[in-house]
Amino acid sequence: MSQVISKPALRRLVESWLRQGKRVFAPVQIRPNLVSYQPVRSPEQVQLEGFVRPLNSIKEVVFPRHEKLFQYRVRGKQIDLVPEPLPAVEQVVLAARPCDAAALPILDHVFNWDFRDAAYNRRRELTTVVTLACTEHDAHCFCTSVGSRPDDPRGSDALLLDVGGDAFEVRWMTDKGQSLFAGQTEASTRTGRAGPGPERRADLARVGQLLEHAFERAEWPAWTNRCLGCGACAYGCPTCHCFDMVDEGGPSCGARVRNWDTCQANQFTLHASGHNPRGVQSQRQRQRIYHKFHVYPQKFGELLCTGCGNCTRNCPVSLGVLPVLEAVQAEAS
Amino acid sequence: MLQPLRETCRRLLEDGTVQVVIGYGQAVRAVEPYPVFITDPDEVGQLVWNEQCRTNLVKYLLRKEIRALGKPAIVVKGCDERALVVLEQESQLDRSQMVVIGVACDGMAEPRCEVCDAHQPRFADVTIGQADNQDQPAERRYAHLRQFLEQPLASRMAYWKTELERCVKCYACRQACPLCYCERCIVDKNRPTCLDTSATLKGNFAWHIVRAFHLASRCVGCDQCSRVCPEGIDLRLLNLSLARAAEADFGYRAGTAREAEPVLGHYSQQDQEDFIR
Repeated sequence: MSQVISKPALRRLVESWLRQGKRVFAPVQIRPNLVSYQPVRSPEQVQLEGFVRPLNSIKEVVFPRHEKLFQYRVRGKQIDLVPEPLPAVEQVVLAARPCDAAALPILDHVFNWDFRDAAYNRRRELTTVVTLACTEHDAHCFCTSVGSRPDDPRGSDALLLDVGGDAFEVRWMTDKGQSLFAGQTEASTRTGRAGPGPERRADLARVGQLLEHAFERAEWPAWTNRCLGCGACAYGCPTCHCFDMVDEGGPSCGARVRNWDTCQANQFTLHASGHNPRGVQSQRQRQRIYHKFHVYPQKFGELLCTGCGNCTRNCPVSLGVLPVLEAVQAEAS
Repeated sequence: MLQPLRETCRRLLEDGTVQVVIGYGQAVRAVEPYPVFITDPDEVGQLVWNEQCRTNLVKYLLRKEIRALGKPAIVVKGCDERALVVLEQESQLDRSQMVVIGVACDGMAEPRCEVCDAHQPRFADVTIGQADNQDQPAERRYAHLRQFLEQPLASRMAYWKTELERCVKCYACRQACPLCYCERCIVDKNRPTCLDTSATLKGNFAWHIVRAFHLASRCVGCDQCSRVCPEGIDLRLLNLSLARAAEADFGYRAGTAREAEPVLGHYSQQDQEDFIR
């Protein structure tokens, strides 16, 4: 027997979460052809079908684009540092894509490695992720090339699968997921199904081997010269997690904040001396590919990529990781 | 169109007139065309031309990675070409050091194409194809803006708050803009910081307003910023507003005449000065 929930019941559940004071994030239709994960104010805003995936990612619920770390006040010779209180509001992500949910356990490594990031971990504890398995994919999707699939439960607390008609099968992976749906589902003989998923486009085990010896290859500029150096790939990526820390405010008071940053910006690796070890765009593109498919796997045992394809979808010039990986693969064979 | 384009590029590369062709290519699996840089005459077959060649390639003339490839030939549409004209006026480019290949365009199915009056390139060294440049009266060209301005101030403010809330400061708008060429952008200055780098509503308003000011009377309306914004923010409205001000107050449309003096780089006794009190 499976557990199912009807779409109207799911929307009533969203309403009850909102009433309980939880923040609910879900895909929202901004305009035709633009769906984005946003905080919702009413259950009607939640978009459950009719799109492949939002153009942003759910990382924002655990790693916001902008976060205050502490405030400073200077009075004479006295400097007061006021720590920012840790987040306290419970959050639910509804209808996350599997390629978004899978990014959270990957991010856990880096936020708990040499330093345990308190704000990240608190947000992670406060967040319940309800994933909706994919029924469709587009030309940019490549989850199957990075060892995932359209109904991958990784990183999810509960997984919804389309059973056709007006209902979803609910499977829970954690107690958190189960308690969110407690008493709201019905036993059924119907089971849900995900779509077939995209065909495999790259052999990541092989690409990993190729990268062992590809750092000095002369083709990097040819593969990546069209990159314009913006952050559309990194900011739409569920796994990119680099940030910059800046002081905002004046000499007497202000705050130290951290903001998302991107390795594609010239300033990212610019040294105070003026030297830039990644002074041209192809070196910065190479950096991004190596971080995701070589450095991170060596350090933490898994790829820094879930195959969502947002990097290419958002790229002004259709680059992103897959075209580069395909080029690396083609050149070597 | 495509065959003469490829042949022109092959000839330019073969006889050594240029070392690189900046054009559009498309891999079999790619959803749309993307910029390619061809240095080998035998590879001109990579070039494509279709109704999805939306990128304004002029930006690449300024990028050092592409400059390093040698003297370029560049494929431009009539609208892209206006950016070339402004860059030349601002001494950012030497036209004698490049070959400009203009391609006639029937529109790329973008909002700006509906009111385009530059389907046929006018300043290119070589022009391929033939299209008609129809006059577009100003009221048509600015219709999108006028519609927006018909809303009361409070709704317009609410609109920009909702839209700019989503901006993540990826700077795709700046990176794709052919006229954003500052070596160090004001938002990247950090000793001291000039603008909040945070993607908060305050930081986002500051960023988009400052960028708009820097493009005042210079923006050619290629709308790359709108096209590339991953959050779908209609930056076109800001562009149109600037362009209309330059046209209404100074009779100036950026990039439409090579001999014109840039509004901000030129003083005329006829300039309005009723704002000086």
